[in-house]
Amino acid sequence: MADKKNHDERLERLMNQLADSVVGLSDEAILAETSEVGADPKQEAERTRSVLRQASKALDNVNERLSNLGHTINSDDWWRGHWGYHNTCVTCGSFVSFTTATGEMRGEALDGLCPESDQYTIQRREASR
Amino acid sequence: MAHLLPYPEPPEPSLPPPRSINASPKSALLVENDESLLSFLRTSLKHEGYAVRTAANSDEGLRLYGDCAPFNVVLIDYCVPPKDGVVIDHCAPLQTHGTALAIAIREINPSQGMIIAALDYRNAREVPRPPELMHIRLLIDISNFQLRSLLEKIEVDRAIEALTSSEVLRLQQSADFRVRGLGRAARGRTWEDLLQQAVLRTLIGAEDTRQGRHWNKDVDFVMHLTGAMRSISSNWKRQFKETEAYLISEFPIHDAEGQEHSPLDDVASRHTAADQCLIEKDEEDRVLTIFKDDPEATQVLQGLLDDLKKNEIMPRYALGEKQYAAAVKRIRVKLLGGRNGGGRGGKHGR
Repeated sequence: MADKKNHDERLERLMNQLADSVVGLSDEAILAETSEVGADPKQEAERTRSVLRQASKALDNVNERLSNLGHTINSDDWWRGHWGYHNTCVTCGSFVSFTTATGEMRGEALDGLCPESDQYTIQRREASR
Repeated sequence: MAHLLPYPEPPEPSLPPPRSINASPKSALLVENDESLLSFLRTSLKHEGYAVRTAANSDEGLRLYGDCAPFNVVLIDYCVPPKDGVVIDHCAPLQTHGTALAIAIREINPSQGMIIAALDYRNAREVPRPPELMHIRLLIDISNFQLRSLLEKIEVDRAIEALTSSEVLRLQQSADFRVRGLGRAARGRTWEDLLQQAVLRTLIGAEDTRQGRHWNKDVDFVMHLTGAMRSISSNWKRQFKETEAYLISEFPIHDAEGQEHSPLDDVASRHTAADQCLIEKDEEDRVLTIFKDDPEATQVLQGLLDDLKKNEIMPRYALGEKQYAAAVKRIRVKLLGGRNGGGRGGKHGR
């Protein structure tokens, strides 16, 4: 077991040090290294940027879907579980979760309108009076 | 607004002379002291085709109104302070500086279209107004305090778009090495998962806890994401149970000579994790084998595997600064290129 832990930690240390070394590279150096790996730096950068956007987009999608169904989610209450991020509607308590890997959404909150959505509509009218 | 965000916005670009605004087909005056909200509202109105003037307090708002009126719309923060530097702890019912400004404008021009914004409020009942302002439209944060999260998201989205190619590549490669360092604890996750988790953690909170790791704007966005990735990968490692079942994909099918080979065939041990030990050892040997014809890279690798720092590795192997940097570069390039045949791996790259 000691050997296993040892090899495990040695590899982790190595990779973490390499990860840290990348952060300190100059612009020219990181672009040159990407080319040396055999990739086009510009294409790689845009592909990675789209990966970053995808996370933000997944959150947009779930928020929009919930909003259309009249659910109200406290955006500070998302929590990470075994399968993606989870939350509950503050009005009706129904559950929702989503994952960025596939953009998939799950939960009873997606099954239909929030039972309290009438109240939601009234508040919206009051607000725009 | 009553609650100010703890970071500064970039300075307002210089505006044209006040009178020129009336040349625009639609004009708006925004009176809001919260820079983030102001930026959000200004951008929204500009997208709607409005020429926008802004004031950060009610005195300045009244002066601007006097100089530039009429506007198509005047949007006034319910709790705007009277002057710069005045902190509003609470808004007195019926009589705030926002409502006072609205009344003053109404006296100058009774037909001026106005909106009172109360974006830290939950519903209309929480925003009392004097009777003479009851006909004025009220804008509140209908979705229960979602606006600040929306503003945070807008800032993060902008930061993603503003990243340079080299910054994005640094993040990618850093994520890649960090996930490789996890070994089995990565549980099939890739650098893409780690990067996306870092963005989501910034937007909506941390794993397992209900406390967000929001972006402190004093910290560079790349450094913030790098720190988030470090923390997330450590967390993945802690959560991993060594007795977890293996995925068949975790076992090498072919050895270096292309022969079919399973490490389990050679294992006869009472240790439940002996097979995993073999995989880790195999990976370490594989990495060292890649550099068997590169003595300097092998020395640096050995040093890094032994948890030595640069200033310890260099004297131990009599390496100069340039030799060390060049060896580390060769290690990075070969490891990144070797696994994926030149391209970057990940779910979209395969």
